[in-house]
Amino acid sequence: MSRRRRRLAAVLAAFLAGALLLAGCGAAGAPPNLAPQVTAHRPLPANAQVNPEIDNEGAVNDDCGNPTASLRPKGIATPRGSTMAEIKRRGILRVGVDQNTFLFGFRNPATGNLEGFDIAVASEIATALFGDPNRVRFKAITSQQRIDVLRDGTVDVVVRTMTINCERRELIEFSSVYFVAGQRVLVTKRSGYTGLADLAGKKVCATTGSTSLSNIASAASGPVPVAVDNWSDCLVLLQQGQVEAISTDDTILAGMAQQDPATHVVGPKFTSEPYGVGIPKEDTDMVRYVNAVLAKFRKSTWQAVYDRWIEPALGPGTPPEPTYK
Amino acid sequence: MVRDTADRARSQAVPQQPDDARSLFVAALLALPGRGLRSVIRSAAMTPGRLTIIAVGLIGLTAIAALTASFAVRDRSDTLTDLTERREPLAAAAQQVYRALSDADATAASAFLATGEEPEELRQRYENDVAMAGSSLSKAASDPAATPRMTAQIDVISQQLPVYTGLVETARANNRQGFPVGASYLREASALMRSVILPAAEELYRIDTEQVAEQQDDAGGFPLVAALFVVALLAALVATQLYLKRRTNRVLNLGLVMATAAIGVGVLWSVAALTVQSVLIGSGKDDGTEQVEVLVQARIAALKSRADETLTLVARGDGGEGYEQEFILLSKQMAGDDGSGGWLADVAASAKDGTPLASEIALAQESAEQWLRAHAKVRELDNAGNYAEAVQLAIDVGKSDGAAVAFVALDDHLRAAIEEARQSFYDDTTAASRVVTLLAPGWIVLGVVAALGVGAGIRERVREYR
Repeated sequence: MSRRRRRLAAVLAAFLAGALLLAGCGAAGAPPNLAPQVTAHRPLPANAQVNPEIDNEGAVNDDCGNPTASLRPKGIATPRGSTMAEIKRRGILRVGVDQNTFLFGFRNPATGNLEGFDIAVASEIATALFGDPNRVRFKAITSQQRIDVLRDGTVDVVVRTMTINCERRELIEFSSVYFVAGQRVLVTKRSGYTGLADLAGKKVCATTGSTSLSNIASAASGPVPVAVDNWSDCLVLLQQGQVEAISTDDTILAGMAQQDPATHVVGPKFTSEPYGVGIPKEDTDMVRYVNAVLAKFRKSTWQAVYDRWIEPALGPGTPPEPTYK
Repeated sequence: MVRDTADRARSQAVPQQPDDARSLFVAALLALPGRGLRSVIRSAAMTPGRLTIIAVGLIGLTAIAALTASFAVRDRSDTLTDLTERREPLAAAAQQVYRALSDADATAASAFLATGEEPEELRQRYENDVAMAGSSLSKAASDPAATPRMTAQIDVISQQLPVYTGLVETARANNRQGFPVGASYLREASALMRSVILPAAEELYRIDTEQVAEQQDDAGGFPLVAALFVVALLAALVATQLYLKRRTNRVLNLGLVMATAAIGVGVLWSVAALTVQSVLIGSGKDDGTEQVEVLVQARIAALKSRADETLTLVARGDGGEGYEQEFILLSKQMAGDDGSGGWLADVAASAKDGTPLASEIALAQESAEQWLRAHAKVRELDNAGNYAEAVQLAIDVGKSDGAAVAFVALDDHLRAAIEEARQSFYDDTTAASRVVTLLAPGWIVLGVVAALGVGAGIRERVREYR
């Protein structure tokens, strides 16, 4: 009997040992991790594209002679039946402008008013017509809308950093040149870059569809173009360290350098962008009138306007000489 | 005989391997069920024994059926309570996350448009929205039963919300200095909100809503297992009575009749209660959650449209066309061309006349109409170049015919309408849960009565053999 009991105890012991062994088998594994390592994703401006497809619509039609040669001014008289008389009858000058480009055409958030070099030019025309710089109705337009609003008569003139070229000349008229810009490069001061040549393989920003973007893409040093909707979006990307540089007209770059003292405009002008006032093709009397206003403007307030807006970022400058047909 | 088997097993095991106790043990274990079975078969051969077995079987079946029925009822009740106290409030929290984020986006853009110092009430509204979004998000995230898909959405929102607020503050700082780059920061913030954060919030809300609908279907489903057991029990009771009648030539056995009656009462009670319950769950769905869903869609569309309206103006004539197109599309889905169509009209058509929901919807439609009219005027002014006037009409809360006033009124009425529809859901579903409150313990009591009946009835017959 006692032998049997011992045997039973042995069986029980064996069972217990087996159960313990089974439970202890296998690795315990790692403790559950509820806070795994995450890395931040940087946000991008709406519609930003790295290395977009750029359709180069062939070489621009350059065989119109000198596109900047405008009609010779004939004084500031406004004879009956002229375009100017029509505007005076209406009592207000309608101008297509930019309200996003700092220093040229932008809305001062503190006052809600439009300010800048282009706005000064528009006011100059209004002053000549009405003797009052405020008789202007500004219409904010995009760069793509510039030619359309002139052709459908929505505005009388467009003063919006508009480069005079042969292609546009086929559709609209231009005044004489009131400012000559050129494409340059904006970089952070710390980066030490001195021009587009230093930016091989680096990301450089410009707006979608602009000539600046094609120029970046075709640059010999081979930078990577980044396209965005608005020029200011480029500055956002530069400030966030998502691009190394911005390249476009120095006027626009100057506006950005003003908004961020850690950046500066570098390198030579590698294009020439003569700005003119856009005018509907049939209003040749208006072209001569605006040219007369600009001739006076170059001699009087041009320098003051330049020194107020542009000089701090791009240094001293002088009014461009007009050329006439 | 049983002992013989066990002994044989032992006597076979011991001589071969005296030290191996295991086979001995196993053999004894294996012999147990055999022993029980044989004793049952032996007593089943005699009628009193057979009757006892029938009684034990019937009482066992009664216990199983009554317990299953009681559990099924309790389970439905629990599901409904979970629905009203946890699941639906979670969906509402997810909706709050979406609303707060979307409103923050629209308000930030409005505040940005104001000239000079940013209006205090807009700043406050934006800050409240962000606080509200954070707080609702933590509620929505507190769901212990969150699926990985829900967790992923919550992750996106909680990772990106601080980035968003950072961008908005950068925009403000630049704007204060008169720098146009501020507008670009705001547009980047808004793009982040619209392309990353809001879709995640929308998805979270959608999953939550799906779960509410699933749980509603669950609670309204047919309790199949319990029904099968109860039917089997009833069949067994009837069969036993027929068997006894044949054997003893007595028509009625009082105990078994009582048992059958108890189970019958349980069935009738259950059918009545569950029918009322499904009707209530159904009306909680039709007048409650389904209305909430459409109203939330409408509110989301209104919020997005408001952001579109202000962002068109923030873009200042450059790249704002996409926003306006979206406004036209969304406002049409929400309220048709003039406030009388779209989702609002759908809800108005299905809301019962004279209810608070119907009157809130009517007011919402009125506000929508006012807003659409104001919006058309804003676009007209802006397109004509009267930017400052357009902005004034769009954001000035002091202008009674302005877009801001109409939008705020619309949002308020939609919020109130959503609350009304939620209340209908809550009332109906809580009532549905209460209908069966007594049924679960009721089944236990009926089960005990039936078991006692079976025991007494069969005992009477067994006694006759002695």
